[in-house]
Amino acid sequence: MLGWWSLVRAVHVFGAIFWVGGELVISAVLLPVVRRRLEPALGSYLLGAVGRRFAVLTVAAFLPLQVITGLALAWHKGVTIESLADPGYGRILAAKLVAFSLVMIAAGGHGWAMADGKPVLARSLAIGSLFGSLVVVVLATALATA
Amino acid sequence: MTATLTDPTTRPVPGQGAARRTWHLRANAVVLLYVAAALVALVAHDVLPVPRWLAVHLLLLGAATNAIVTWSEHFAVALLHARAPSRARSAARLVALNVAVLGVLVGFCFELRAVVLASAVLLAGVVLGHLVSLVLLSRHALMSRFARTIHFYLAAGLALLVGVTLGSIMAVTGERGVWYDRLHAAHVHANVLGWVALSVLGTLFTLWPTVLRTRIAEGAMTAARRCLWLCAGGLAVVVGGFLADLPWVTIAGLVVYGVGVAVALQPFVSTARRKHPTDVAAVSMAAGTAWLVVAVALDVVALAGASDLHHYLTGLDALVPVLAVGFVLQVLIGSLTYLVPVLRGGGPAAVRTTIAALAPAWRTRVIALNLGVALSALGSALHLPRLVVMGGWGLIGAAVLGFLALVVLAFVPERARGPVGGLWIGVVMTALPLALALSGQGGAHGPSSVVLTSTDEVQTVQVRLVGMNVEPSVIEVAPGTRLKVVVTNDDAMRHDLAFPDGPSTPLLSRGEHAELDLGTVDAPLAGWCTVPGHRAAGMTIDIRVTGAETPGMDHDGMASMPGMSSTTSDVDVDVHDKPGAGWQPRDARLTPAPAATVHRIRLPIVEKVVEVAPGVRQRIWTFGGMAPGPTLRGNVGDEFEVTLVNEGTTAHGIDFHAGQGAPDEQMRSIEPGQSLVYRFTADHSGAWLYHCSTMPMGLHIANGMFGAVVIDPPGLPAVDREYVLVASELFLGTTDEGADAAKVADDDWDAAVFNGYPDQYVHAPLTARVGERVRWWVVAAGPNDGVDFHIVGTQFDTVFKEGAYLLRPGNAERGASQVLDLEAAQGGFVEQTFAEPGHYALVDHDMRRGESGARGVVEVTR
Repeated sequence: MLGWWSLVRAVHVFGAIFWVGGELVISAVLLPVVRRRLEPALGSYLLGAVGRRFAVLTVAAFLPLQVITGLALAWHKGVTIESLADPGYGRILAAKLVAFSLVMIAAGGHGWAMADGKPVLARSLAIGSLFGSLVVVVLATALATA
Repeated sequence: MTATLTDPTTRPVPGQGAARRTWHLRANAVVLLYVAAALVALVAHDVLPVPRWLAVHLLLLGAATNAIVTWSEHFAVALLHARAPSRARSAARLVALNVAVLGVLVGFCFELRAVVLASAVLLAGVVLGHLVSLVLLSRHALMSRFARTIHFYLAAGLALLVGVTLGSIMAVTGERGVWYDRLHAAHVHANVLGWVALSVLGTLFTLWPTVLRTRIAEGAMTAARRCLWLCAGGLAVVVGGFLADLPWVTIAGLVVYGVGVAVALQPFVSTARRKHPTDVAAVSMAAGTAWLVVAVALDVVALAGASDLHHYLTGLDALVPVLAVGFVLQVLIGSLTYLVPVLRGGGPAAVRTTIAALAPAWRTRVIALNLGVALSALGSALHLPRLVVMGGWGLIGAAVLGFLALVVLAFVPERARGPVGGLWIGVVMTALPLALALSGQGGAHGPSSVVLTSTDEVQTVQVRLVGMNVEPSVIEVAPGTRLKVVVTNDDAMRHDLAFPDGPSTPLLSRGEHAELDLGTVDAPLAGWCTVPGHRAAGMTIDIRVTGAETPGMDHDGMASMPGMSSTTSDVDVDVHDKPGAGWQPRDARLTPAPAATVHRIRLPIVEKVVEVAPGVRQRIWTFGGMAPGPTLRGNVGDEFEVTLVNEGTTAHGIDFHAGQGAPDEQMRSIEPGQSLVYRFTADHSGAWLYHCSTMPMGLHIANGMFGAVVIDPPGLPAVDREYVLVASELFLGTTDEGADAAKVADDDWDAAVFNGYPDQYVHAPLTARVGERVRWWVVAAGPNDGVDFHIVGTQFDTVFKEGAYLLRPGNAERGASQVLDLEAAQGGFVEQTFAEPGHYALVDHDMRRGESGARGVVEVTR
């Protein structure tokens, strides 16, 4: 049924589209083009600027939005801390929270590693967080049918 | 000179060139693959047939055995200045060893006993060959002060031969029983304390100073000789003690073994004091050895504290995986961290690069692994919340995964490290949430019915026993179908599946399965689980024939089948009749609470056939040999430690309403021969029920498994007399089977009783004197009904019901009470005094029950 709660859910999904879509576009579109077409110095300047802007948007808008809408949806659905341990819906939701936290930690780690001059580690963490964000999406679709 | 002596791994020996180093690196890759597989088994434990067995054997039989065989030969060659065996021979041995290991693993998981046995024989052959080659090496080599190390390897190999033999007997006979437990305990000790620990200790005498880059301590080799005698001798006594089931002999052997380990520790510690361990290799090896010491100490404590071998093994099985990680895996990680850079070689600079590649976050990894081991070990030993144990394993998994990732990354070219590292992180970030999301779904329900339309050949149907259900519960076949069912028990409790006049499975533990050939099916068949009460609870299966009349599963249909007590409404009993000769009334007097604040009670579950009503003898299930079970009494704050021992023929458990705590562990069902310790603190006063916690509870209670716990309210005044009456309903059944499960399910009781026998205190009146204050503790055990307790001709001036005084003497209203009404499982007490001599009837004032046996007489005299 279309109502206010569908709107909240839609906002939650928009957030996910922005973040996962952003990561995919940066990795699959921007990164290869920059590497192939730009001078290394210019390329790393551009990627650094893109990365910082993405990080700012993540912390200032995406994270609060997802957490607030996510908590609201869980409250609406009657989820409690205890019910997270229940096999099925509860554990899938718990897994999604774990995956989301890991993705955020990996993404944060990526930024830190870039700033710290550890490009190999930074790259590993970026690829890892991309993997993880896809897992979050898979678990979200599983929740819809659980 | 010192450097040469103390660095056997890098010393040039005949036949040890770059090629041989590469060979050892490959052998180590096999070791790491087993470690990775054990990790997978840990994460995927919900979908594997025998996850704990598999994880332990992947680690000990797979990883540790490969490492020991490869490295003991390598060290023997290096220490004895001997000629290395040919590469072809080493390769053949490695292949044979791993064929044997995989054969054991696969054979055990799929219950292919012939494969297990053949693989065990091959394994024993490989080990024997290895031992012979070690002996030949030491014979042909120059005399060396390190020859002692080889003796450790020989003793370790002999222990493995014993362990493999014991393990094979267990795997092939597969029967649970006295011998199974003895073999099991001896097998674990021969392999872990013998094969693995002796190899590790022997190696450490030379490897430990090498890793610390210092010389061997004075007197180390003397200590090695003593250590070997004590450890090998102690272990032989331990294995013999387990097989003969002489616990004190076993403990003595373990203590001797522990002394041996302590002797070995002397040179280790003195070396470490001279040169502190400061890298991941040395710290891991030291911590791993410390866990060996902890394991031996815990073992002694567990064995001394266990009531029997089975009890001990339950605890041991929970601790073995985690101690195997703390000791074996950690020593393995430590040695590999040292050996991999050395073997990879490529000059001092390259070695330093490899060492650096394996070093990142090493302190965090070592702390995570050891914290994880401690948490898991404490969690299982002290029955802490499951989350603690799982958190421990999470830390262990993360640490091991980190090590594996670093080793792989060290061998990946610089350019590819980013993506390869990303792949690792991605795998972890996928596996961890997915394992969490998929966990706990083993209990999901399958289809409830299956229709087979084909009559070709043999039709096989998978049947699961789970959650008091048979899935599918209906199989419909065309007439003339040859039908086989493969029955798997997915329930924690043991079950079987039996067809009357047809085949039946043995009792199956969780995860076990059996195949039943039902032959050509022309007529409907019905089957069920024969564990008492399970059929009534719904564990039935119907084989229907298409087009044939479907048999109804009504009571008449069930009654005609063997193995099920008939509906015994035809049992004709006069509940008011005189008891038979030899009948003894149950003493209703309640003695004051003992002064002790900790109450230790042993509560054996015993089945017996007794007179439950005049002229009716039937089987009852009891706590402590009586129904109701013994009344326990204490004060608020007291601790109760009840050891429940199942001496019956079916699973039972216990639930004390007087305590609070998660039911998961303490109220679990235990199989015959097993025991559990149930601890609770009496947080609150009251008259509390305890009862069997095994499904179907109604039947277990109806068969006599209930009793009372009396916790005095603080400041409870002393009275002249105290009685305790436990009210329950009696369901008559057959002599052999006890209460009729169908009647219990229908609440179709035959008598209502106080303390287990109808009209009990009519036949044997209770007594009191005029003017005495009498306190009556009453608990309603049910299984379904409560009680309305009344004493004809008296009023209660004190009523305490379900934790509160409802009435006390001298109240402002000058009120009194006539009935203490309790719902099923409630309790309380009343007090009154008798004003004059006479015969006062005590009754359940619900007349259906009062006139069906729930009554008695108090004889009051001056």
